Amino acid sequence: MITLSILIGAPALASIISLFSSRLHLVKYASLAAAAISTIATLFLASRVAFSGTVTLSSFFAIDALGMLGILITSVVGLAAISYSIGYLHNEVNKHIIGPRRVRQYFVLLNLFLAAMLFACAAANPIMMWLAIEATTLSSAFLVSFYHKPSSTEAAWKYLLINSLGLLLGFFGTLLYLSAASLSGENFITWQTLLTHASLLNPDIARLAFVFMLIGYGTKVGLAPMHTWLPDAHSKAPVPISAMLSGVLLNIALIAVLRFKTITDTVVGANFSQHILIVLGLLSIIIAAGMILIQKNYKRMLAYSSIENMGIMALGFGFGGAASLAALLHMIYHSLTKSLLFLSAGNIFLTYSSTKIAQVRGVLTTLPVTGILFFAGILAISGLPPFGIFFTKLAILFTGSDAHPYAVAIALLAFAVIFIGFLRHTTNMLFGEPPANVVPNIESDRWLLVAPATLLLILAVLSIHMPATLAVLLTTASATL
Amino acid sequence: MFLSLPYLLVTILFFATVCMHGTRKNAALVFLYALQSTAVALLLAHGAIADHSAIILAVAVFAFIVKVMLAPNFFERLIRKHRITFSARTYLGLPLTAIVVAVLVILPSLHAFAPLTAIAPAHTAETSLALAAFFISCFFVTNRQGGISQMIGLLSIENSIVAFALFAGLEQSAMLQIGIMFDIALWVIIATLLASLAYEQFGTLDTGSMKHLTE
Repeated sequence: MITLSILIGAPALASIISLFSSRLHLVKYASLAAAAISTIATLFLASRVAFSGTVTLSSFFAIDALGMLGILITSVVGLAAISYSIGYLHNEVNKHIIGPRRVRQYFVLLNLFLAAMLFACAAANPIMMWLAIEATTLSSAFLVSFYHKPSSTEAAWKYLLINSLGLLLGFFGTLLYLSAASLSGENFITWQTLLTHASLLNPDIARLAFVFMLIGYGTKVGLAPMHTWLPDAHSKAPVPISAMLSGVLLNIALIAVLRFKTITDTVVGANFSQHILIVLGLLSIIIAAGMILIQKNYKRMLAYSSIENMGIMALGFGFGGAASLAALLHMIYHSLTKSLLFLSAGNIFLTYSSTKIAQVRGVLTTLPVTGILFFAGILAISGLPPFGIFFTKLAILFTGSDAHPYAVAIALLAFAVIFIGFLRHTTNMLFGEPPANVVPNIESDRWLLVAPATLLLILAVLSIHMPATLAVLLTTASATL
Repeated sequence: MFLSLPYLLVTILFFATVCMHGTRKNAALVFLYALQSTAVALLLAHGAIADHSAIILAVAVFAFIVKVMLAPNFFERLIRKHRITFSARTYLGLPLTAIVVAVLVILPSLHAFAPLTAIAPAHTAETSLALAAFFISCFFVTNRQGGISQMIGLLSIENSIVAFALFAGLEQSAMLQIGIMFDIALWVIIATLLASLAYEQFGTLDTGSMKHLTE
């Protein structure tokens, strides 16, 4: 219980400190310390969950292997985002884009956002998880509208409205699942009791519940055709927030989908949920491919890439078997890669003051380290070896090739289009003559390089070596799917 | 024929939801939401009295405070502060809207949704009405372009879900219900703040007029 209190309590406490302290240094370093403490607590908890099974902490919290993977991703990306935010916001204050008061507001909301995501992964009860995911929307809406520009306000409005609608549908679906447990007479329903009493659920209700739940949480995951909020919110938010939205939040919602999928599969068999996931996954990949190819804005390009990768994961869980394990591994690789890409994109934005691809030239000349980090991230996200995404994509497609050859062929074609799109846009940005008004001095700020470089290092290590704890968590989680 | 109080209350909820589609004034829309919410709070209170549960009665009071007092008050303040004129713009024209609403009313009685109304065989009529209100509210949110309509539509969906859950026997523990009410209160505050910010920047809450995301 103490570890969990530290895990969720540390960012919550940092949020309170940020709310009441007028000293900017205290706000920044309290947030950084809280994220670091939370990450250390996560590592302790991870080995406990991996080697002792589900850790139950009172009747309200239970951390199984799947939830632990979500917590690991949240903590690591959260720490990277907070450390990067220190340098990023310092630059924005110096440029008079924002004032010091806004920095405080930023850290209040960012820490709350982090705490809500950790809470969602640890919640033992489906309604508690729903409340936590709803809290992620509420805490991040003002982070999306952070710059108070008409475009960011519009994106935040769209984000709040569409996600709230989605989550209400998800809430309705969740209640339908609970009809099984209410028949059993249970008062406080946990994921475990829901799974135990799944046989009491009417199969027709299970199918309807899954559809409502998938539309609801699928909106938050960013699966097409419910993805329309995602490119706007991810491109208008400050880059560390975009990294959190893309690298963490989408996965938390996907974890909710997977928990309900397990229950549905117990009642109606795996085929039903698998077919829907394959269709939505494929649709997400196809739409993202087209949009990446014609993209003019590099932040939107990364946002569409998140839709593509969520589609790949949906495809993996739809194919089932070994593809489920690959999809879980893909979740980790994607989180690290996408956060690395967004944070590198932040450096590009600080230097070029534009998110338009046409206005960014010669990044390798003006920002040599950032250029290399960004290029490595693009190679990784495109699925080139030796990066892990190459192996996870291969494993997913290979597993699905027997039963769903057409889906695999369409996905392969879309991957080729995405690769061409990425290559075209990235070469335009990295090479060429930089514009005259660019000030190439931001790489002297170490805060702006440490986080993306560390993420690349972790990604590279995990691509060739899987630590025992993580391997056990992945196999245990995939066995339940 | 004797009409039970719960049946009467869910009927009020249903008709208030249908009437929302015909509203042309902000005040009327807020009133319909308050009426709907009063029906839901009374449904909760009725259940609490029937079960002799003080804690559920407290939830009903909390629901009344949040949904009938706080939320409408926030909307009225937002409308007064910015003198927001009502946007009745819809994606579908009135005749088509009426046809869709009519279809949504009969949707719960279709074979596909029969399992949902059969969850509580003693309350098939009530669950059907709540379910129809749920579908009509979902359509209201997607069909209207006005920001206030969209916010109230979302809260109307939540009211319909609560009513459905009450009749289907899916109500949650008091602690979780309080958590949900707290979430709604926070949602209303954040949504009205964001709406206020949007109005200051766009001079309207008509989402059809927000065109800054064209890339």
